[in-house]
Amino acid sequence: MIDTMFIGLSLSSILLLVALGLAITYGAMGVINMAHGEMVMLGAYTAVLSRIWLDANIVMAIPIAFVVTAIVGLVIERVIVRRLYGRLLDTLLATWGVAILIQQAIRLEFGLSFFGIHVEGLGPGLQNVPVPAVLQGTFHLAGVEINTYRAFIIVVTAALAAVTWFLLQRTSIGMQVRAIIRNPKMAAACGVDVARVNALTFAFGSGLAGIAGVMMSGFKTVFPDMGTPMVVDGFLVVVVGGVGSLLGSVLSAGLLGEINSVVAALKNDTIARAVIFGVVILIIVVKPKGLFSFRGR
Amino acid sequence: MLSLSNIHSFYGRSHVLHDVTLSFDKGRITTVLGRNGVGKTTLLKTLMGMTDKTAGKIELDGTNITCEPTFRRARAGLAYVPQGREIIPDFTIRENILLGTFARTDGRRIIPPLVGELFPYLLQNMDRLGGVLSGGQQQQLAIARALASEPDVLLLDEPNEGIQPSIVEEIEQTIIRLNREIGLTIVLVEQNIEFVRRASHQFAMMEKGRVVAEGPVSQLTEELVHLRMAI
Repeated sequence: MIDTMFIGLSLSSILLLVALGLAITYGAMGVINMAHGEMVMLGAYTAVLSRIWLDANIVMAIPIAFVVTAIVGLVIERVIVRRLYGRLLDTLLATWGVAILIQQAIRLEFGLSFFGIHVEGLGPGLQNVPVPAVLQGTFHLAGVEINTYRAFIIVVTAALAAVTWFLLQRTSIGMQVRAIIRNPKMAAACGVDVARVNALTFAFGSGLAGIAGVMMSGFKTVFPDMGTPMVVDGFLVVVVGGVGSLLGSVLSAGLLGEINSVVAALKNDTIARAVIFGVVILIIVVKPKGLFSFRGR
Repeated sequence: MLSLSNIHSFYGRSHVLHDVTLSFDKGRITTVLGRNGVGKTTLLKTLMGMTDKTAGKIELDGTNITCEPTFRRARAGLAYVPQGREIIPDFTIRENILLGTFARTDGRRIIPPLVGELFPYLLQNMDRLGGVLSGGQQQQLAIARALASEPDVLLLDEPNEGIQPSIVEEIEQTIIRLNREIGLTIVLVEQNIEFVRRASHQFAMMEKGRVVAEGPVSQLTEELVHLRMAI
């Protein structure tokens, strides 16, 4: 059972990294970013390409993926999302389009496949990333056998959640983000450059999703469509946790990850999925604003 | 000096201000008067760039700020204390005040000594949440937040609305002091004629989105008040 719980915790960690970005962008900007799952996918492909072209292992791929996906996120914000603030449904459609574009870009190897050029690591096929020897295998802690790679995922996520918390609660930029989540007009009247802060927030959230992608690449195959279910799962976490609440996202990611893993161990993955949706629907019915929201949108 | 020339202002498709031309003299208190719904709040929001669309020209000390976004106007020296105060309830008093410092141009995050001098209660309770304060304390907090940017012009929207009488007098004293001692230019929206006569130098009377009378406060006669403000 403890073993199952531990697997659940590592699932929760991935969910949390994906959801943090969504929670902040949805909370601060009122943008539903359907391309967020593609940041996960791009992160995973960054790990694939880093290994092939830079001979970098999965640990070294983490900062590279953060930078790559943060830059892609920044470009999406600057070029598209920025023009759609206050138009929730339009952001949903536009970013969905962006998601498809990014998927096809990977599948068609940025268009090079039309010219018969093949880039190793891209294309429609499946890729995988080997886990370095230090992170393979298991170790024992208090009599329980623990998978090293899953422990690694949990530690990295805990560290990133702590960094995010610190940035939000203890820095000047974080205070601006929190003020924008609560009252964007008044924040602007107090001199906060809302557009700039939003762009940085968007980039940071994308970067976190990219890191989630790197870590996923260590235990799942990497393919162009892998991000699509992630954005759904991410939004489930946000809806359950409450918009714009860091604590809510952490707890709801933990809850959903554990339910998934426990039910999957008792029955199977399909039932687990159904149970997750059931629980989420129940929570939305009882608490429409999520478990920890201070304000609905 | 802050001035508006031929300003038209809109929320969506509704045209709220019609051809408003006004100037607010440096170091003076100018009060904007009128019945409910004539566009007083919209006038302040237009100055801050918070309406949906504005046509015309707004100048601050000779610089055209008509097209500047809200945060740049705040950094140019305008500070806004909105109706209903709009402090952030789950921010502490300290955080609420520091929010105002983002409009400072030197990038420093400090609470000016003036704030502590005017509002000792706030200074002694920096870690309390804004949401637990009384209406009067929240109003003080909103003024403190505006002062934290060390502004040149203070826009005050009905600072005495919904506040217990004992605090009203305190806030009135604060407003007068900020102008007479600190030299702040103040644009005030206020309904209390007695206080307006006592505090302000100039007035502008509005009706249906237009300015229908303006001048030194000595010209704010009973007849005018009766004609434009009686219900």
